[in-house]
Formats: sequence, structure tokens, C-alpha cells
Amino acid sequence: MHFWIWKLALRYLFPKHRRGTFFTWTSIVGIAAGVMILCVVLSIMNGFDENIETKLVQINGKVKILSQKPIRNYTEWMQRLRLQAHILGVSPFVQGVALVQKEGRVIFPKCFGFDKKTVGEVLPFSKFILSDNGTYGAFIPKTVARELGLATGDTFDLYSPLALESIKNEVMILPQEIPVAGYFKTDWAEIDRDTIFFPMELLQEAYGMEDMVHGFSLNVDDRYLRSVCEDLNAWLPSNMHAYTWYELNEDFLHVLKMEKAMSFFVLLFIVLVAAITISSGLMTSVVRKQREISLFLHWGASRLQIVRLFCFQSLILSMLGIVLGLTTASMVLHFRNAIVQFLTGWFLPKDALWNFYNFEQLPAVWCWKDIALILAFSLIITLLASLLPAWKATRTSIIKGLRRE
Amino acid sequence: MNKLLEVRNLTKSFAQPLGASHMLWQNVNFALGYGENMSICGESGSGKSTLLFALGRLEDVQSGKIFFEGKEVTDEKSSNIKGIRYIFQHYQLVNELDVYENIVLPCYMQRCPVDAKLLKLLLETLKLESLQHRMPAYLSGGERQRIAIARALITQPKLLLADEPTGSLDEDSGRQVMDLLFYVCKTLGTSFILVTHNISFAKETNHVFYLKQGTLLNEEG
Repeated sequence: MHFWIWKLALRYLFPKHRRGTFFTWTSIVGIAAGVMILCVVLSIMNGFDENIETKLVQINGKVKILSQKPIRNYTEWMQRLRLQAHILGVSPFVQGVALVQKEGRVIFPKCFGFDKKTVGEVLPFSKFILSDNGTYGAFIPKTVARELGLATGDTFDLYSPLALESIKNEVMILPQEIPVAGYFKTDWAEIDRDTIFFPMELLQEAYGMEDMVHGFSLNVDDRYLRSVCEDLNAWLPSNMHAYTWYELNEDFLHVLKMEKAMSFFVLLFIVLVAAITISSGLMTSVVRKQREISLFLHWGASRLQIVRLFCFQSLILSMLGIVLGLTTASMVLHFRNAIVQFLTGWFLPKDALWNFYNFEQLPAVWCWKDIALILAFSLIITLLASLLPAWKATRTSIIKGLRRE
Repeated sequence: MNKLLEVRNLTKSFAQPLGASHMLWQNVNFALGYGENMSICGESGSGKSTLLFALGRLEDVQSGKIFFEGKEVTDEKSSNIKGIRYIFQHYQLVNELDVYENIVLPCYMQRCPVDAKLLKLLLETLKLESLQHRMPAYLSGGERQRIAIARALITQPKLLLADEPTGSLDEDSGRQVMDLLFYVCKTLGTSFILVTHNISFAKETNHVFYLKQGTLLNEEG
């Protein structure tokens, strides 16, 4: 039973009839600040990561089958894919680059050909469409519209790589005149900057692919994502491969993970500084309480009990700091949008957050794994910080301590 | 007579620079029976407190032997000798604990239960009942010393070593504390050794010793 050690440790920090010492409160606030900042920053990073991941799934589909060569008889492949377990939707696509010209202005956008009948099974395509005049034509982002001076109903010339290739053979294939059916916006800057969505048949014709496609997007039950991919890869011919959305964006997701790990590492220094404050405060306490420690040792307290007395103080401070830190973090996260709006209200125009940072509401996701990690690190760091003063306390000479007046 | 404490040829010296040594006291001999008390007087710096600390094994000695309840304890650790407790001139109370907690703390450290009857007796005898939940910082010197006495006696030691317990008190408070110390030790049958400058307190003990020029002399010299 160590209850008296806990009690004494508590009393050292919160003497009876007092609400704690200056050292107690500065230590608690130090740990609380570290824990709060870590929780808030990591939660907001989690929120942004979740938004990014959702967007990656929305623009890629959950699984993509890519082929080294164009895939023939794609309708037959689609039927075969639909028969596989846990596959909820299949849509073919054609993708590539082309030269787009409008009255002397030229750009080289990425082209994505979608199958109007099936694209809704795998992507929330209708959510991306801002306007659609119903004509058989391309959907362009606002950036491309601005660059080429295009509006819905206008047309532009599309020079495919096939047309450029034909020049070598001294054959001239005329460019296709494509009408603009409407605008789209995916909120993914890379796509919204230089991608044009075409009806798949239009791109097939431009690339001379007849009934061929470049791949398939699949909608798969999330629980079986990995196993479906593994099964498909065992079943597909060697020139075709199925990738999950996270395999396709592995580098990007790795950067996000690294960024989060670095933030954790850097912000942990706040807890470290708070722990050093605790260590210094406890060291002062050890020097001031030499008489008491000597007395405890004389009464029969073991050196280990003296170590516990100081480690428990550190643990109590750490636990209280964590509780205060978590409470303030949850409050800050709860009112985060109000806080951001209040702060930006002073310095930025009303829609600056959307225009510059692409968000109106600050996302946040409370991840229990992160919280557990923050708590564990905070406890370990503060516990380690108490070891030096605790060790110093055990070196107390009983006689020197008792003779101290 | 059964001897509670026996000291034979105890010698203490301190090392000095250049290899010299200073003899504090030598060939100290005395014995104390169960329930008896004694006092040690002497000038400041004569080594009274050091002798008291040596008896409780807080100080090492160069030679000689100490027997406590018939068992040699010369090389024992102080914390292993459960039957000896100290009270000090400056009380040494834990300021963060209230009176009650200060008194029972040694029991917790020795992992022994608090004897409720003894606690009640001590609180009554030492007039501490109404102060139980007060903090030491708000008490007078006399009250603090009474708490220190209660704390020293709560584990029922056989021998109490009191190092100038009235040294920080005015005459009236000192008198009151000494009267209570004599009374409570008599009630509990606890022996004590009193180190004091106050000859009148010393004369109330069973044996009076003087530490003079490194030698312990009894009243007869």
C-alpha cells in the first residue's frame, strides 16, 4: 500500500486549506498547454487528412484497374468484373493528354473520358458538375475557361496525339471541334487547374481506340478493399493491375503522414519544456525538504518510497495537466470555427479562407490513437523528468538533513 | 536492574585538514534502565547533540559499543532500531500536513496500524484534541513541540532522545512542554534522554550528566 505516499505527494502539491502552490499550477498549465496544442493541431491535421482522403476516393474511385496496353472488349471485361464478390460498381475510362486550341490560345490539358452511363456507380460525378447545358460535349474547369476564354456552348479544337503522329506520315487529320457542355469543380486543385472531362466515346475517337479503354474505376465494399484488390490481381492478366486509392496516392499520403509525425515531434517539445520545469521545481523541493526526507528515512521509509514520493508528484501534475489540456483542447475544437472567424475577421476579407485555403469550416477529427499517444508521451516524459530529483532525494544524508535548521 | 540502553567506551572524533583529528568525546559510559530518564548538559559545541545522534545510530563512532535492550546496535542502521525516536529543538513538522496527519505519519512509514487508544491518550494528554485539523504554520512553538512529542511517541518507542526540546520556546511554554513530556513518558513507561542547557529541567530527570572537555561526568563529577 502506497496510499500515504500518494497522500503526501498530493499534500506537497496542494497543501491543506490552499488551492495549490505556484509550482503546482505553473507545472499543470505547462503540461496542459503542451497537451492542448498537440491535441488541437493533430486533430485539425486529421480533419484535413480525412478531407483529402475523401477527395482522393471521390476523384479516383476506390479501386482502379490500369493496363500497360489499351484494354479491348471493355464491355465484356465489365461484365466479368461485376461478377466478382464485393464489387459494387464498374466504370471504364480513357485518359491522356491532348492539345486544345481556341482562337490562337493553346493549352495541353489532361483529358479524362468518362462513361456517362456507369460513372455514377463509382464516382460522385454529378456533384462535380456546376452547370450542364445537355449537349454532347466536354466539361471544363473555370481555370481552363478563363485561359481559353470559353463559355458554355462555345467550341474548342482538340488535337489528339494521333493527329500529331499522323503529321509524320504526311497525313493531316483535322482537329475535332468539341462543344463545351458545362463547368465542373472537384475542389482538388490539380484537377481543377488543367483537366477536361470528355464523354468517353469522344476521347476514344480522338485517340483512335474504337472499343478500347485505358482502365476501370471500381466501387468496392470498404471492408474488403484490400482483399478484392488481391483477388483481382491474382485473376487479372499480367499486363493489368488493380490498385487501391491509397496505393495510387502512396507518396502523397506518406508526405501527409510524415508531416503529422513531424508536427507531433516538434510540438512535443512544449511538453518537454513543461517537464523540465517540473524537474527543476521538484529539485528545489528536494533541497528544501532535506530535513523531512531525513526524518522519513529515520522513521523507516525506504529509498524506493522516497523515489515514489517525488515520482508520484510528477505523475499527479502530469495527470492534472493532461485532464486540463484535454478539456481545453475539446473546447477549442468545439468552438474552432467561431475562433477562426473571429481571428480572420480582423485581418482577412470574408471569403479569404475559401479562396486561399480552400475551406470555410475548419475540419477536425478527434483520433483516439493520437490522444493515447499524446497521453503516453506526456506521462513518460514527466515521469522521466522526476527521476533526477527523486534520485537526488535518495542521496540525502539522514544526519546532515536532521542537523539542518 | 534491566538495562534499556548501555554505552561502553564510546569515542567520537572528527577528521581535520592535514590529517589531524579533533576528539569530540571519549570513553563515554553510562546505562539507562526501563522507564528511567536522564539528561546531558554542557556548553555549546561540547558534542551533546552528536552524542544523542550517536545513541540512535545516526552518527558513526570511532570506538565503543552501544547496547539497546541487551542487543548490540553499534553497527545497526538507525531506521532498523524501531524502539528509539527523536524530538528536535525545531520540531521538524511537515508543514503541508495537519496536526493529526503529522502525528500518524511515522505509523504509515513503518507500515504499522495507528493505535487509536494511544492516539487518543496522546491527544488528550498533550492537549492537542482541538488542534487536530490545524496546520503547523498557524500554531505556537509550544503547540508544535507537543505535536512533535506525540509524533515521536505514536509508534510506542522504548527510548525518546530529546535534543533541546525547549530551546526555541519561552520559559512558560518550555515549562509546560517539559511537564507534559515528563508526564506522558511516565504514563507510557517510555525512557528519555534529554539534552538541555536548562539545569532546572535537567535536575528533574533520574540522572544528570555533564559533557565537559570530551568527558561525560555524572552529577558527582
